[in-house]
Amino acid sequence: MTSAKAYKDAALAARLSDRVYRPAEDSDPSFTAEVEKIGGTAAHLCFQCGTCTGSCPSAPRSSYRIRTFMRRANLGMKDVCLNDPDLWLCTTCYTCSDRCPRDLIPTDVIMAMRNMAAKQGIVPKNFLATVNFIYNTGHGVPNNDANRVARVKLGLEPEPETTCKYPEFLPAIRKILEAYGTKQLADKVLSEGQ
Amino acid sequence: MSHDIHKYAFFLGCIAPNRYPGIEAAAIRTGKKLDIELVPLKGASCCPAPGAFGSIDLNVWYAMAARNLILAEQMNMDIALICNGCYKSIWEVNHKLKHNDELRDSVNEVLKEVDMEYKGTSNVYHLAELYYNDEVCGLNKLRDSVTTPLSGVKVACHYGCHLLKPAKDREFAGGAIGDSEHPMWFEELVDALGAEAVEYRNKMQCCGAGGGVRGYDIAHSLDITNEKLTNMTAAGADAIADTCPFCQLQFDRGQFEIGQKFGVEWHVPVLHYCEMLGLAQGMSPVELGLDLHQTSCKPFLDKLKGGQ
Amino acid sequence: MVYTGKNAAAAEAPEEPRIGVFICHCGTNIAGSIDVPAVRDYAATIPHVVVAQNYAYMCSTPGQNMIKDAIAEHHLTGVVVAACTPRLHEPTFRTATANGGLNPFRFEMANIRDQGSWVHMHDWDGGTAKAKDAIRIAVAKATKLEDLYPMSVPVEHRALVVGAGIGGIQASMDLAAAGIETYLIEKQPTIGGRMSQLDKTFPTLDCSQCILSPKMAEAGRTPGIKLYTLAEIENVEGYIGNFDVTIRRHARGVLTPNEAAAKGIIGGGCTGCGDCSNVCPVVKPNEWEFNMAPRKAIYICHAQVVPLIYTIDFDACVKCGLCITACGTKKAIDLEMQDELFTIKVGTVILATGYEAFPIEQKKEWGYKLYDNVITSLEFERLICASGPTIGHLVRPSDGETPQSVGFVLCAGSRDNTGIGKPYCSRFCCMYSLKHAHQVIEKIPGCRAYIFYMDIRSFGKAYEEFYYRVQNEGAKFIRGRVAQIQELPNKNLIVVAEDTLLGNQVQIEVDLVVLAAAIQPTAETEIVRRQFGVSCSGDKWLLEAHPKLNPCGTTTAGVYLAGVCQGPKDIPDTVAQAEGAASAASIPIHSGHVELEPYYAQCMQNLCAGCGMCTRLCPYSALSMTVVDGRTVMEVTAAKCKGCGTCGGFCPGGAIKMQHFTSPQILAQIDAFFLGGEQ
Repeated sequence: MTSAKAYKDAALAARLSDRVYRPAEDSDPSFTAEVEKIGGTAAHLCFQCGTCTGSCPSAPRSSYRIRTFMRRANLGMKDVCLNDPDLWLCTTCYTCSDRCPRDLIPTDVIMAMRNMAAKQGIVPKNFLATVNFIYNTGHGVPNNDANRVARVKLGLEPEPETTCKYPEFLPAIRKILEAYGTKQLADKVLSEGQ
Repeated sequence: MSHDIHKYAFFLGCIAPNRYPGIEAAAIRTGKKLDIELVPLKGASCCPAPGAFGSIDLNVWYAMAARNLILAEQMNMDIALICNGCYKSIWEVNHKLKHNDELRDSVNEVLKEVDMEYKGTSNVYHLAELYYNDEVCGLNKLRDSVTTPLSGVKVACHYGCHLLKPAKDREFAGGAIGDSEHPMWFEELVDALGAEAVEYRNKMQCCGAGGGVRGYDIAHSLDITNEKLTNMTAAGADAIADTCPFCQLQFDRGQFEIGQKFGVEWHVPVLHYCEMLGLAQGMSPVELGLDLHQTSCKPFLDKLKGGQ
Repeated sequence: MVYTGKNAAAAEAPEEPRIGVFICHCGTNIAGSIDVPAVRDYAATIPHVVVAQNYAYMCSTPGQNMIKDAIAEHHLTGVVVAACTPRLHEPTFRTATANGGLNPFRFEMANIRDQGSWVHMHDWDGGTAKAKDAIRIAVAKATKLEDLYPMSVPVEHRALVVGAGIGGIQASMDLAAAGIETYLIEKQPTIGGRMSQLDKTFPTLDCSQCILSPKMAEAGRTPGIKLYTLAEIENVEGYIGNFDVTIRRHARGVLTPNEAAAKGIIGGGCTGCGDCSNVCPVVKPNEWEFNMAPRKAIYICHAQVVPLIYTIDFDACVKCGLCITACGTKKAIDLEMQDELFTIKVGTVILATGYEAFPIEQKKEWGYKLYDNVITSLEFERLICASGPTIGHLVRPSDGETPQSVGFVLCAGSRDNTGIGKPYCSRFCCMYSLKHAHQVIEKIPGCRAYIFYMDIRSFGKAYEEFYYRVQNEGAKFIRGRVAQIQELPNKNLIVVAEDTLLGNQVQIEVDLVVLAAAIQPTAETEIVRRQFGVSCSGDKWLLEAHPKLNPCGTTTAGVYLAGVCQGPKDIPDTVAQAEGAASAASIPIHSGHVELEPYYAQCMQNLCAGCGMCTRLCPYSALSMTVVDGRTVMEVTAAKCKGCGTCGGFCPGGAIKMQHFTSPQILAQIDAFFLGGEQ
């Protein structure tokens, strides 16, 4: 599926592009292993019963098919998985994981693929915005002035007893985010988008 | 009935203190009547958000959650929290680190750089689970604390996902809470306040917000919310009860967003269980910050008065 | 087994043991992962080994001849074959040893395949080293082996069959036809089992009761079958040929004509007239109809019961006595009847304890017991059956309406690794669900049948053709496991699944859902299994002696298996296995005697202090105290002893010798392992 045809007419080349799955070229067995390691679940044991998609709140309103991702995980179809925008439509409700008769955790297969995609810089910006909020304030959803006023009205302090009130805890948080390269990733990808 | 005071380090998360501070206020105040004392967990941060953050790198998710856990360990206290998303991060990471030496070592390796070490000495609970637990509170004690019963209203319970699922990794004692297909404990909690919990189709469906989907594809996420609202109102619900401020945000702001995006009008008040408990214990809507909700709570409050 | 006792060399009691070692390649099974020539060369260096040879297949005739020839040529005192497992080929090599003129118990096996090459398939050096160890240990034992002689015991000319479903009925009929008096024990008040609850059978669609009831009747009237219903096994003692089985007959509260006659009631006893039931004021749900129909406290399960004797449910009976009046001069009713215990002696036993549906309500996503119109397939059988609670009119439980659409959920709890369901395939659900789809299409014009499946396993004779037929009749097949069932306010159900072939979620509204619930062994199976010392596999089905070559036998001599208790199977397979089990169970009875392995304990009475503690430890009641020359000592009833070694391991004076597993033999093996052969 990877080889493009060298036809003069690019539109034709695209329309007639190779749609045959050839394990030797299209499969990366280390992908299955990596997904299983990060996700902590034996994705290769999936027998494609469809219980996952049948349980999925995203399936009825999109082209996202968790079963298809499980199949691709099995076949080592790394590039297809990591570049598919549907990867980010899982709400991580884990209903599929509760019902999977093979006792797998399809949701964590998705999480593993997202981790791998993110490492390659393929990650929606809203995810990285959360990283920056936390880096700056300790909170994914930070406090604001209107809320401070409201808190006082309720008899609470304007700042909750978190990093909001104790910013001295922020350096440790920033160090952790940097140690894992998460902050760097956010900066790099977000700046590329500018 | 025991009157021992149960003390917990109160993990706030983000959305409760920073968007729905009434939940925080209610949790603290209602606890006094239930012998549940919530002590500030100073310096806590975002749990961090399991969907948005875990999707990027599970390892940094473990380490960040571990930092919050260590703060409670340093206080020699168990954690109580009020958000399903926080429960997934804090409970699940605690569970993983307790049972996986390799993972714990790798997290501690990084935390050493900030002079912290995860030891695994604290437990993590959702307040709703503690309310239901007879050894801590229980339905009777809850019922006894009610001064203004929420009679005359029908409430649809939204359990949310991350408190109960994946069920195979959860360890709720007894099993009444652990059922993720047809649980009834939330309905019992709501009934204890004098309201009438109603069953509705596909009750355990997700609110639509999780996994970063609310930020990634708001229309997709709201379409799920819209389906839930349809099922809840078909059962005659006057309000939605939740145990998760993020689900609450999705239902509360979501109704406005659904109106804007889809042209479909909803007016179903959305309340966290702590807020409902506050009302039932006689706190006023203003004391609970219900005026901060985007979807007006007035129809629900009016119906309450009418019933009284 | 042919042998002539000690050979000439052994008779002269040579000072030194002379051991031959024979190493099998088992094709590449062993030779592919173990360096056989190196093992052979090593074996030749072990003390007392006078010959070490290797061969492609030691179990072949040339291989056996090598052993025979070597015994003669080298005047061997012991033979070690390093190959597969004694379970497979111990008899083969014992025979070869005997043919060479040695006592067959002079043979010892080293398992270098199942416990060697197969588990260390990718570790050439490690596997080879382990094989050397195993052979050195076996040689050490072989140097200490003694001549032993099997004990021949007579076999009681009677058999016992536990469970009277179609498997137990068939086995009993075969045994009786072969001239063996057979006790047939059934826990329920009637024989017939699960098959009697079924409406039609696949793929032929003949009526289950129609083909079963002649067999039930025959089993009830065959003189060679002693039928006891409402009876359970209380206790088992003994061994092949001589099982003493205590039966508990639960109080039925109703006398049979024979029992009445024995009490001097002329012309009395139950005739099955039902007058008692008509007047009984107590109404209970009929379990046999899965509680979908009522019965009285005095009742029969259904119209075709065998024996046709009413039964009192003493848990429900209020002892008002109305039934006694109604019964009149037949005087069949005895409200004070007590359970009865009696002991029978049988030579062989067949277990046919059947199956039950797994509690499918535990798979909460399908809503069984929560939603009125979700039923199990066994309930469907009763609802579609002309003799059932609705006289064959399929209705949905919520409102009694005829369903116009039915969803069939396959693999409901089967092929499930969650720990809630069952990991195995229940094997007959595909076929009966096809049959159910056929039945609703046939009986209810316009009714739609949706079959949700993962795979259709139509493997039997004419089964695939039946699949074709049902598809042709219009059943809709949806290839996807059902994720969830939702109930609507009108009690209709939404079946949610993915049509995996379409790649879309499907939500189908139906009037009725039938769950093809996984099956599991009956609760009694575990009890009966322990009473007879039969093993079970991890999934709790009873374990056959060999999955391919001895599917009817068990590892307990004289105990055989028939039907689903051994693993899910349909009616033809059950009947076939029952006939096989009957045949196997009749062999020891017809041969009249069996040889018992001489692995029993012996008391060296000169060492016995007579403390008697061992007698209480023995799980088989094989030990007793006796007085010899004025001293109290223990003696062993060899036929009862299973050679478990409990007594021998315990005896504080070391007075008990376990034949073939003596202390010197075992110590030699341990020394050989730890000391590398330097004893």
